[in-house]
Amino acid sequence: MVEHNKIRKNIIFVILLALVLAFVLIPFITMISSSFKPNQEQNLFPPKLFPQDPTTVHYEGVLNPNVFPFLTYFKNSLIVAFISSGIGVVIAIFGSYSFARLEFTGRGVVQRGVLLVYMFGGVLLVIPLFQMITKLGLFDTRTSLIVTYIVQTLPVSLYMLGNYFRTIPEEIEEAAIIDGCSRLEVIWRIVLPLSAPAIVSVFIYAFMIAWNEYLFASVFINSEALKTLPLGLNQLFFTQHYIWGRMMAASVLTAIPVIVLFLSVERFITGGLTFGGVKG
Amino acid sequence: MTGMEERDARLGIILILPTVLLIAGLIFYPIGYNIFLSLHEVNMNPNVANSFIGLEHFFNILTDFDFWNSFKTSVIFTATTVVGTTLLGLGVAILLNRKFPGRPIVRGIILLPYVTPVISAVFGWKYLFNPVFGMANYFLVDLLHLLPQHINWIESPRYSIYAVIIFNIWRNFPFAFLMILAELQSISQTLYEAAVVDGASRWQQFKYITLPELKFVLGALIILRTIWNFYKFSEVYLLSSSVEVLPVYIYEKAFANYNFGEAAAISAILFVFVMGFIMFYVRKVLEW
Repeated sequence: MVEHNKIRKNIIFVILLALVLAFVLIPFITMISSSFKPNQEQNLFPPKLFPQDPTTVHYEGVLNPNVFPFLTYFKNSLIVAFISSGIGVVIAIFGSYSFARLEFTGRGVVQRGVLLVYMFGGVLLVIPLFQMITKLGLFDTRTSLIVTYIVQTLPVSLYMLGNYFRTIPEEIEEAAIIDGCSRLEVIWRIVLPLSAPAIVSVFIYAFMIAWNEYLFASVFINSEALKTLPLGLNQLFFTQHYIWGRMMAASVLTAIPVIVLFLSVERFITGGLTFGGVKG
Repeated sequence: MTGMEERDARLGIILILPTVLLIAGLIFYPIGYNIFLSLHEVNMNPNVANSFIGLEHFFNILTDFDFWNSFKTSVIFTATTVVGTTLLGLGVAILLNRKFPGRPIVRGIILLPYVTPVISAVFGWKYLFNPVFGMANYFLVDLLHLLPQHINWIESPRYSIYAVIIFNIWRNFPFAFLMILAELQSISQTLYEAAVVDGASRWQQFKYITLPELKFVLGALIILRTIWNFYKFSEVYLLSSSVEVLPVYIYEKAFANYNFGEAAAISAILFVFVMGFIMFYVRKVLEW
């Protein structure tokens, strides 16, 4: 009887798990499978989950610069995301070390001020920032996006790095100072090497945010040569490039770098996030 | 040693300076500037001076039927998605809070919707929701007969809000799941063992042990998701621009109609509303 009950429970568990996974995965399966479907299969009804006659023609189209500006958008996203997260991480390393280890008047106020940023969504900032960017002559430049993305990711980066720095035993740093190291040498020789996984994770977090961003890009960027992936792909959706297979291939290629990066640091990022969430 | 402390303090200020300048210049100053703009008739050319008109935008907005419609859409969108992401996250976290082979892989898969770029996820869902050949209509209409006819999920003003809500829940429940699962795993097993000895049922264990332990994380999740979804723009606009939540309404007022002053005033109203909600929630519901 007990055995019986256990089997029934296991079956219910497996069914529920399958339902959850189906809900999560069906959009991905659709995306990948349609990217391999030839055009005449796209509009079949009833829809088929898998391509009958798979083809790579859409990927060839997407990667051919004469057909589709995907590679230009990809390059722009890469440049903006790489530079903004690189600079952002350096600023966050200095800032969070200051929060974690150095006493100065006003530290508490600054820390609370940084947390307050959570209360302001991008949509509240886009109008004044657009006006400021235009006045400064930065409209339609990569700089406008890089600066904006650095600020958008800074609070979480500071938080995650600060928490990590506090786990490094202070005695190690003190010993180095007694041995004649300056604070900056301590950061360079002890804190940075010990925090490498945290720093890489924060870089990847900032990279993902920049790679994903649509709102500011759509307002700050105008010329075709500077468009990032979300902006460029969304606009192509409403033009003659509206070929389902090709859009799906472009979506897959846009998602792959981010998913690979995320999976490589999943443990650390989710750990940092849950800690952050539970704390506040 | 005091020399050392002084040097540390000076270094601390130098190291935090870039952060302070960036956040002051690109977050706090713009918020103030937004209030300034909301009190002016803003010229389309940013180099021409704006004319002060006081609270006129605010009077116009608060008597505008379109604004209240958009406000209503925002409240419906936020309320349903907050409930949806939290409950689904809770359910899936409870489901996965046991040992079974392949659990780390399943956990990784469940996080995928949350980390995939919005633009990719949106295209996948647009395909599913396609009125002619989409899987959604096929399942709901042709297979299960839950709906009488094919629905234009993306473009119809009446149904697109459902598509946007489902998409938002799909994308954001993994975050709630992750937080709740972490908290569930930190609950001591001895509590449950003691409850079983005392003859507590499954439901009683959930109600008297699990739920109180989750109170803090659930409270934090609800308030964060409420703030984030009130300000949510891309996930709504990219899937269906016909769902006019307030951020979409603001965006179109500013960048399609070039009415920057009025758009800035709507942003200010949205901000005050969200702040009011936070204060009410923290005092009355969370009792912090």
